[in-house]
Amino acid sequence: MLIFGAIVIAAGTAAAAQSPIEQLDTYREQGIEQVDSDRGMDLWYAPVNERSCTHCHGDNPADTGKHAKTGKRIAAMAPSVNPERYQSARKIEKWFLRNCKWTFGRECNTQEKADILTWLSGQ
Amino acid sequence: MAGILLFSFYGLGQSLASGGYESDDHDVDHGYDEEYGHNGRQASAATSPLYKEECGGCHMVYPPTLLPGRSWQKIMAELDDHFGENAELDMETQLQIEDYLLRASDRVAYRKLFRNLGDMAPMRITELPYFVHEHDEIPGRFIQDNDQVRSLSQCNACHRDAERGLFDEDDVFIAGVGRWDD
Repeated sequence: MLIFGAIVIAAGTAAAAQSPIEQLDTYREQGIEQVDSDRGMDLWYAPVNERSCTHCHGDNPADTGKHAKTGKRIAAMAPSVNPERYQSARKIEKWFLRNCKWTFGRECNTQEKADILTWLSGQ
Repeated sequence: MAGILLFSFYGLGQSLASGGYESDDHDVDHGYDEEYGHNGRQASAATSPLYKEECGGCHMVYPPTLLPGRSWQKIMAELDDHFGENAELDMETQLQIEDYLLRASDRVAYRKLFRNLGDMAPMRITELPYFVHEHDEIPGRFIQDNDQVRSLSQCNACHRDAERGLFDEDDVFIAGVGRWDD
């Protein structure tokens, strides 16, 4: 699993995406023909085994979140209040890998990542 | 990446210069400054920007000196199940952080903290016999039943300079309770 993670992140790094749009371009290059912001929002709020993204990030992506276990502050996900978000492909892929596994019990596929990122980047 | 590495080694060099001698006699309760000289703060706080960024994203930046190297090795080998969380890193980052932790933890250590540890490699700082002994008088209402603390793992809920490696009992301020006075 670690090896797979390394490949995903290496691929992200090679693409050197610098903005959310560029990372979405990368997903497009990986075969994603259509993105759906509403589908991304549904995934963001979907409860799976009593877990969802909002568990740590809170109900509003424009608000500061709080790690469910450690209580550590998590900066807002919405670029409208936190412009530093989604500037690094490496970070995007790292957190998708970890957090999809924690929240959904599996990795997110490229379509799901593209949809979630599309929705989040508009917040 | 080379810059990050250089920076961490520079930090380690400082640690060595300032805290390179061992002392079992001094009481760590009186602080790192007394035990390791005036520069002791730098000796204990984490210096690697990579470690701080990757591990500090989810929890406080634990000073590497709080666990023996063999404990860090076990922790770094099981990041996909990190106390119930997924904390996977790409292999290069993982190896760099492990290398940093091993060097930093072994160079300067809270000798007293590792008392009665033998060859054990606990996964949690809170399992160290000395740690258990030091915290056994604190009522549950200050920790487990305190929403602002909840666990002894949140060092900085009471030791507000914990990330700098400062754990002086006189400086304890329990979140939601106040100053600790035993």
